[in-house]
Amino acid sequence: MSGTPLNRYLTACRSAASLASDSLSKWLGRPSAISIEQVEAMPLEKAIGLLGDHEGTVCGCGMAISGSLQGILVLLCDDQAGLALAAMLLGREPSDDDTWGDLEQSAVVETTNIIGCAYLNAMADSTGADTAAMPSPPWFLRDFAPAVMQSIVMAQPLTGETVFLTRTEFTIEGSPARVSLVFVPAEDASERLPGAPA
Amino acid sequence: MSSAGDTADQSLTSTISVPIGGFATASREGSLRTFLGSCVGLAVYERRLKLAGLAHVVLPTAPAKSPLPGKYADSAVPALIAALTSLAAGRRLQLTARLVGGAKMFAFQTGPTVGEQNVQALEKALSLAGIPVVSRDCGGGKGRRMTLEAANGQITIETLGSEPKYL
Repeated sequence: MSGTPLNRYLTACRSAASLASDSLSKWLGRPSAISIEQVEAMPLEKAIGLLGDHEGTVCGCGMAISGSLQGILVLLCDDQAGLALAAMLLGREPSDDDTWGDLEQSAVVETTNIIGCAYLNAMADSTGADTAAMPSPPWFLRDFAPAVMQSIVMAQPLTGETVFLTRTEFTIEGSPARVSLVFVPAEDASERLPGAPA
Repeated sequence: MSSAGDTADQSLTSTISVPIGGFATASREGSLRTFLGSCVGLAVYERRLKLAGLAHVVLPTAPAKSPLPGKYADSAVPALIAALTSLAAGRRLQLTARLVGGAKMFAFQTGPTVGEQNVQALEKALSLAGIPVVSRDCGGGKGRRMTLEAANGQITIETLGSEPKYL
């Protein structure tokens, strides 16, 4: 991966994160930011271990992307962070209960839809892609952290040993929200996405 | 004997966590554990000698030179056989295999998944090695925590929101 394509890709990611930040602030009704934390091609096993030694449960809201930005985009959070985000949207106080009801799931799924689409459309615009990114409806899952990461990384056909991954982090009213947006483009994304590293 | 990395060999009483793409063996009261989503856990067991091996398989086919034999279906089988042969110290092995994992956790996935390809590749490699697959718990839509006990060969499979399953 050469420096220039990576720099172009990083610029596109930052621009997309900025627009997604605006969408998140409007959606939550409070100042929020999304920052690019990691843009890296890495071995599959390192990508699967992205959450470290965390063996607990995580929640993932994912969208399969087709069109110019084929890949998978997933909002990741632990129970506490996800339920706090849902409580914020539902106008409730966060509870100590870690139970996900339909309303809480729906709130986080809709957040993924709004933020994810803002991010993807901005990425497509920034990279000069000639067709729009087309996300699937988001789905919600809650499972063991290593199992979720395996499935994110390996959701698409793989032929190589590495995966290219972009990770963002959310900040809400100046505090880390412990919510990440992870984008894993398909292996051959560089053919459709000018500026993406091969 | 090491207990981490791609080849962790065994212990007498502890539980070894098998990392992604790694493999490990255990004997006596030791046990082996791994987390599985779309990856597949290959458990190989020698009942008489109470020797157990577990590989966390990520992809079906190994490249020419890989430092992680446990990562690939076609190299994990000979790697586990070699490790268990070494532990058996000249005693004859009668191995059986069980397969766990290969979930399809995302609704949008269509066609054969990597997990399904891994299961097929493992079945082929095990058949070539003359090791029968005696049971399996593969597919579905949930992640699994898999633990293999060397003392009796029991596999415990835990999934969120369900009672444990035993193989």
